[in-house]
Order: sequence, then structure tokens, then C-alpha cells
Amino acid sequence: MKNTAVKKIVGTLAIPVLFAAVLLILCAIGGKTMIGNRISLNYFVLYAAVVMITTMALSINLNSGRFDFSLGAMAVLASVLSSKLTYAVLGGGTGSALVMLALNIVFGALLGLFSGALYVTLRIPPIITSLGVTLILEGVTFSVTGGKYVMDEVRNASMTAFAGNWYWPLLIIAAVLALMVYLFDHTRFGYNYKALMSGQAVSVNTGIREVPNAVLCYVICGALMGIVGFLNVARSSNINGGSLNFGSISIMFTAFLPMFIGGYIGRFSNDKLGYLMAAICMSMLNSTFAAFSNEVSASTQSIINAVLLVLFLIYLNNEGLLKKILSPRK
Amino acid sequence: MEKTKSENPDVRKYKLRQTLIDILPLAALAVLFAAFCGIVAGKGYRLDLYLNIIFNEGVVLAVVATGAIFIYSLGSFDISLGASTLFSATLGVMAYNATGSLPVMLLVIFGVAVGCSLLSSVLASVFHIPVFVTTVAMMSVLSAIASQIISVNGGALGGISIPSEVVAPFEPPVIKIILLAVFCVVCFFIFDFTKVGRRQKFLGGNPVCAKLSGISLNKYAIIAFVIAGVGVGLGAFLTLVYTPSVTASTAGSIGMNILVAIVFGGMPISGGPRSRIYSALIGGFSYILLNNILKLIIDSNTGYGISQIVSAVFFLAVVYVTGLNYRTRNLPR
Repeated sequence: MKNTAVKKIVGTLAIPVLFAAVLLILCAIGGKTMIGNRISLNYFVLYAAVVMITTMALSINLNSGRFDFSLGAMAVLASVLSSKLTYAVLGGGTGSALVMLALNIVFGALLGLFSGALYVTLRIPPIITSLGVTLILEGVTFSVTGGKYVMDEVRNASMTAFAGNWYWPLLIIAAVLALMVYLFDHTRFGYNYKALMSGQAVSVNTGIREVPNAVLCYVICGALMGIVGFLNVARSSNINGGSLNFGSISIMFTAFLPMFIGGYIGRFSNDKLGYLMAAICMSMLNSTFAAFSNEVSASTQSIINAVLLVLFLIYLNNEGLLKKILSPRK
Repeated sequence: MEKTKSENPDVRKYKLRQTLIDILPLAALAVLFAAFCGIVAGKGYRLDLYLNIIFNEGVVLAVVATGAIFIYSLGSFDISLGASTLFSATLGVMAYNATGSLPVMLLVIFGVAVGCSLLSSVLASVFHIPVFVTTVAMMSVLSAIASQIISVNGGALGGISIPSEVVAPFEPPVIKIILLAVFCVVCFFIFDFTKVGRRQKFLGGNPVCAKLSGISLNKYAIIAFVIAGVGVGLGAFLTLVYTPSVTASTAGSIGMNILVAIVFGGMPISGGPRSRIYSALIGGFSYILLNNILKLIIDSNTGYGISQIVSAVFFLAVVYVTGLNYRTRNLPR
């Protein structure tokens, strides 16, 4: 019993601790500090929130065999609509950030509903539906913004206060994590989701209603991407309204590595907790890149991220073989 | 027995619907072409100039998508093809600027394109990594390296280039048509008349059954990626023929446009026996025609957004209609 608990704790924390150790050593060698001041701490927590929530949104449908390219477009459009509406009502005054966050969630959920409804109505493969939805959402964003950056609507004291305090994104992380664990591990919806994920035909034959479950998954993904859209606005103080022709899909590519790392950590505890741990790893890596920004260009960062993804997947998909090779011969 | 079948109204209805579905992509291309010519003429523009633009944009997409059909027929997909095109073209330009030799440039372009494809397939096959994730990683790496090379060597212009005289002999449309035709015919032959094509369709349609029949997925995946690499190389060369300079955004949207083009051409994204080589050709030109028609009709900055929405709705409608005979009880995945 005790051994199992220790194994779970060690398994859950091993990768983040290893990441921290390696990155801290690199920083020490280079004479840099990973998180040197309050501003870098704010960005560290904010980025961890972005990665964790994007990873959760990506994994919900991907684990069920539904690939969704439209996640990035949902985040951008939800932010554009909510920022314009918030600015029209509050003019950038007190409470703008909170109202914008709430509206982002609502618009995100509605966009998710649109995507899910289209998928279950047309009954064409989700990857194709998501291509169409991405193009539509990007088109709407471009039409609303005229292809320009949205800046005035999101630059106000309320947003600055949000981005300047690490505890706000930390609160969001805690709330999203708790809600996701509850929804997917402790409700009928979650049980049905898992059943459909592991055996679609059998689950449907036993009476599980697949359509509402799928639509709700899309709604949850949309709401999560609404939060990501808001957090991205807090990070960059603008929204790029000019992404066309699948320009928005890069938002979700940041979530691939943490999704696989999180899935691995999830074997020892819970996949949602795994995504948080993986997001912390990614945020540490991002902070290290920021510390070495003069030495490591954006292109090099992309290459390092991609190489890490491939190396981790090589390990993950050849784990049995590696264990066999490395285990002492009897 | 046959008489009974042909008299069955359900079978007749199914066959009629299937025939209509099969000719729909070609009919859509014809309608779009007629509409495009009509709109250009109606606006009083020079049709030959506009057709030249359509052809140059379409030929690159069609060539890369034709090679990609081999990957898609297996039920896999590769979104790194756009980045691979950019990377090949970038190294091709660098090679020409270093040596001043066109054959060396061509060798580098095709070598790099096939090499990148091989690397993706080997990573996926040997290390058992999901193909899609491998191509996501490749996309990041290739576009990052290409951007780095371009930013270092491009200077203030933000791009690298070769003298236009180098590729001028390949500029006449007839040369491009010959290149496109030769590539498509070779691909058609391999896909429809050799065991490579047949086995790839089998693997895409029923991988378990194909494996039990002794067909190696790894072997045919590597062949598919190599052929796709040749398509990427040709696409990169034709890109340089059209515009002899490369920037970080060159061929940026090709990777995703291939997906749209193939589906537009009537091929299921899941691959299998319904895969067709001509889908890439028809779909590629249809998509380019549709985009240009919408740009002509909605002639404003905001119009880009609206034209993309219309294009997406049209895309979903075509996919919906072409998939009418293949609905399943459960939601498709």
C-alpha cells in the first residue's frame, strides 16, 4: 500500500523534477536565472495556465479519435468578440478583465457548440468538419477585425492588473483542474465519455447516447479555448485578427508535447494532473528560453521543442523494448 | 440473379447516386471554371492573365497533392508538406547561389524533399511514432530552419532569390503542363496498375486484414512518403519557376490546402479503395478557382474573410454530398 503511494508520487513528480534539475543546471552554467523576478513569475504561471488548458482542450476530442483543427480559431474569435463587447459596455474600465473572461468562456462554448452541432449533423469525419470550421471562424474573425490587430479594446488597467498578478492565472488553473476532474471522473457524462472512448460501437449498443456526449465535449473544448484566448490576450496585450488560411492552428501545436508527457504522468495519478505537471515543464522550458533569449532564437526554440517531442515519443512508443534491452540478463 | 439486382430500386438508386457523386467533383470543376471565365470577362479583365495566375497557383498545389495521395490513401496524413516545400526551395536557392549550377539546384531540391519525407516515414515506421505527430514535429523543424536561413541570408529584403533567367526556360505554361502531366501519369500508373498502389489502398481500407495478408505497412508507408517527396520537390521547383525568390511564408498554406484539395476532389480523408489520383488534380484546381472567384466577387479587404467563409461552406457542402452513400450509424471518427 505504502509502496504504491510512493510509486504514484514519484511517478507523478519525476518528469517535472528532472526538467527543473536539467534547466536549472543549464541556467547556472549560463549564468542566468530561470525565474528571476516577479514579472517572470507572472509569465511563468500565465504560460503554464495557457499550456495546461490548451492541452486539456486538445486531448478531450483527440483521445476519442476526433481531431480538431479549429481550437486556435475558437480562442481567437472568442477573444475578439468578447473584447469588443466588453469595451463597448465598460470602455476599458474597472472589471473589464473579469467580464471579458466570462464572455470569452460563453463565446468559446457557443463556438464549440457550433462546431459540435455541425459535426453531428453532417456526420462527416471530425477532421474534415474541423477544417471547414477553422476556415469559417478565421473568416469571421477577419471580417470583424478587418484583418487588423485588436489592441485598444484589450489594453486597460484591469487587464494589466490581471497579467501582473500570478495568483489570478493560478486560480484559473485550480478552478479548471477541479472542474475537469469532476466532469470527467465523477459524473455520468465522464463515465459515458470514457466508455465511448474505449469502445464506441459497444457503448452505443449498450444505450449510451453518443451525440449529446460528443456535442458536450465540443462545448467544453470551446469554453476551455475561450479561457486560453483570454490568457493569450493577457500575455500579449493584443489579438491578431488577420490569420487566414489555417494561420490559427499553430496555437494548438504547443499542446502536443505536454499532451503526451501528461498522458504518461497520468499513468501514475490522473491524466488531468499529468497535464498540469507537463504544463509546468513547458513553462519552465519557456522561462529558460526567455532567460537565454539573446543566445537562443525563436527558430532554435521551435527546433528544440520539436526534437523533445520526437525523443519523448520515441521513448513512449518503444518503452517495452527499451526496458527489455536495459534490464539485466538473468 | 443479375437481373434481380438491377431491378431492385434500392440498388438502382444507390448506383445512380454513386455515379452522380463520382462525377460531382469534375462537374464542380467545370462549373467553377465557367464561372471564373464569365466573371473575369464580365469585369472586363484580361482572361489570359487571370488564367495564368490560376494555372501557376494550381499547378504547385496539384503536383504536391498528387504525391500526397499515396500517403493519404494509407489513412495517414502529412501536414509538413508545405514546410518541406519551403525547406527544399530554400536549400535549392542556397545551392544555386553557392554553385551557380541549375542541375545542382535541382539535385538539392529533390534530394532534400525526398530526404525529409524519408525521415518522417522512418521516424514513424522504425520508432512507431504516430505519423501525424511526426509530421507536426517535422513541420516545426523545417519551417524554423528555413526561416533561420532566410533571415540570415535574406538581409533587408527578407527573402533569398535566384536570377529569374535561370528558371526562365521552364516558365512557358506548356513546360509546366508537360511536367504536371508526366508526374500525374506516372503516379496514376503506380497507383492503379501496380501492386504498390493496390496494396496501399488495401492498407488504407483495412489495415488489420492487409497485415494478416502479409503486407508490410512500414514498407508501403516509406514508398508513399518517397513518392510524396518527389511531388514536394517538383512543387518546390515550380514555386521557384513562378517566383524565383523564397520568403518565410512561401508555400506556407500548402500543407493544409492539400487536405482541402484532396477532399474537394472527391477522395475520403480516411484513404482506402476510394482513393483516386485525379482527386488531387481536380480538387487542387477547383480550390484555387473557387478562392479566386470569391476574391474577384468580393473585392475589398474585409472580403478576404467573407470569401474564406463562403469557400469553407462550399467545401463542407461538397464533402457532405460526396459522402452521402457512406453514412454510418455511429458518429464517424
